[in-house]
Amino acid sequence: MREENGSKAYAELVGRGRVHRRFYTDPEVFAEEQARIFRRVWLWLGHDSQLRQPGDFFTARLAGERVIVARHTDGAIHAFHNRCTHRGAEVCPAAAGNARNFVCPYHAWTYRTDGSLASVPLDQGYGADWRSRVAGLGLEPVARVSSYRGFLFGSHAAQGESLETYLGPQVRAAFDNLVERAPDGEVELAGGKTVQRYRGNWKLQLENSIDLLHPRILHRSAIDAADRVDHGGQPPSIEWDIVKSNGLTLREWDGMQIAAMPGGHCWMAGFLTKAIDENALQARYRKMMVERYGEERASQILAFNRHNTIVYPNLFVNSRVAQIRVLQPVSVDCTEQHGYIFRLKGAPEEMFEASVRMVNTNNSPSSIVTSDDHEIFERIQQSLAGGRHEWVDLSRGLEHEDTPEGTNELPMRNQHRAWAQYMQA
Amino acid sequence: MIALEQWLRVQQFLFHEARLLDERRLQEWLALYADDAEYWVPYAWEQQSPQDHVSLFYETKSLLSMRIDRLERELSPLDSPMARVNHYLTNVQVDAVTVEGGAELTARAHLLFVEHRREEQRWFAGRSSWRLRPRGEGFLIAAKRVDLLNADQDQGHLRFAVPF
Repeated sequence: MREENGSKAYAELVGRGRVHRRFYTDPEVFAEEQARIFRRVWLWLGHDSQLRQPGDFFTARLAGERVIVARHTDGAIHAFHNRCTHRGAEVCPAAAGNARNFVCPYHAWTYRTDGSLASVPLDQGYGADWRSRVAGLGLEPVARVSSYRGFLFGSHAAQGESLETYLGPQVRAAFDNLVERAPDGEVELAGGKTVQRYRGNWKLQLENSIDLLHPRILHRSAIDAADRVDHGGQPPSIEWDIVKSNGLTLREWDGMQIAAMPGGHCWMAGFLTKAIDENALQARYRKMMVERYGEERASQILAFNRHNTIVYPNLFVNSRVAQIRVLQPVSVDCTEQHGYIFRLKGAPEEMFEASVRMVNTNNSPSSIVTSDDHEIFERIQQSLAGGRHEWVDLSRGLEHEDTPEGTNELPMRNQHRAWAQYMQA
Repeated sequence: MIALEQWLRVQQFLFHEARLLDERRLQEWLALYADDAEYWVPYAWEQQSPQDHVSLFYETKSLLSMRIDRLERELSPLDSPMARVNHYLTNVQVDAVTVEGGAELTARAHLLFVEHRREEQRWFAGRSSWRLRPRGEGFLIAAKRVDLLNADQDQGHLRFAVPF
């Protein structure tokens, strides 16, 4: 992929109803998509509720780079690179906490929670122009930080569209709904996080999360095990229900609603109906929602039935169960998926506990569902390296994208068309 | 201080449990658990509760049963080829405790878990603890908890098929 027609050549890896295998396997493509996609777009960083008080901070990764996100004494949120401007050491090793200052452990250069340099030991030793240099020696800020409904995003690009424009109305609706499902109209990040790592390209998970043809087939061993469970007259557990929910027939999956939006975003309708709607707890919750919002509005909010809303390039928002997952590409053949839960303020605590158990089942390294997905991604990654066939087929439903059935591969093609646009722009 | 014989008996029982996992006699393994047993592998170091924080495993006997039924009946991609595992237990300590409804024992051990699958060998170290109910000459497991030293590591664990 040489320079004279480099960007055009990248875009050519995405064909009509197919993508070239180097799209998943070429380290040079990976480096280029980090620069052209991940360093340009808005990426999710965290949530307002992690930064309640001045001095509260958390560390995160933004397009692979380590950053600190902190609330300063004036209440404003700042994000900056976790790298001392002196000799480059990591300034803050903690995942989260509260700090008055960030002190580099190497030579004690000390930064305020807005990133500015507060003090340096023996600062008279740095030359006559030191005073004039200090202003430029704050921690390097992340180019842009913005939030939508309390969800914090960062971008390494100084220029570009606003976060709201980037997300677009249909993605914003997913965040709106997640927040509105709280009777108090507020959510908080809680319950820790899950980490799943697989040795495969990040786009394999992106495709998989909107691939409705695979659950019944790939997850058969888990679905069949769920089918054989004897509940002995007791109501089934949420863990069981979530495994079982994958067992819709192929025809039922094909009847599900999906949508593809500009910018590579997409969504699919919900399918966890039994698990989350038909019990006494839900009835109690619904009553609280009606009290808060009134019957009509509460019904609207609760009828918003989406499973994954996929925010290109790396975020999965599940409004209905108040969970999100984010992909952190590590290298061309290694990806991490981090899962988070939100507590709906004002809702029964048992709903949060059910959400915790759902995440244990779906997004823990012990999951009997997603472990099989990740296993498959690794085998794809290994086998794409060889063989005569250079192209991967994604042609399902290409002829009727305007009326897509559930198993139509339109959303994947939509992701890859966005990829091609970023890569040649 | 419990009697030496009791300590040996508990240790034999724990080694037996480990062996059943190693030899994939998973139904026999499950039969060691009480119907109300709780099997817990926390996600955070010194995690206080499985209710308000995610866990690596937090399962009832019914869920464990579903898990091993899957491992025994069909080959999931994750388990094909089947993982070979060794569980090593050391530093076994046993205490007698009194609970409602009779005497129980608590046991603790250090765990080393080695798994070989698909050209890869992985090692995990942790601390296991059990609540044991006397049953005839042996015991029933009322609860088991395994704290992995790297439970909360940020880089991911890949995948676990066979319980610890």
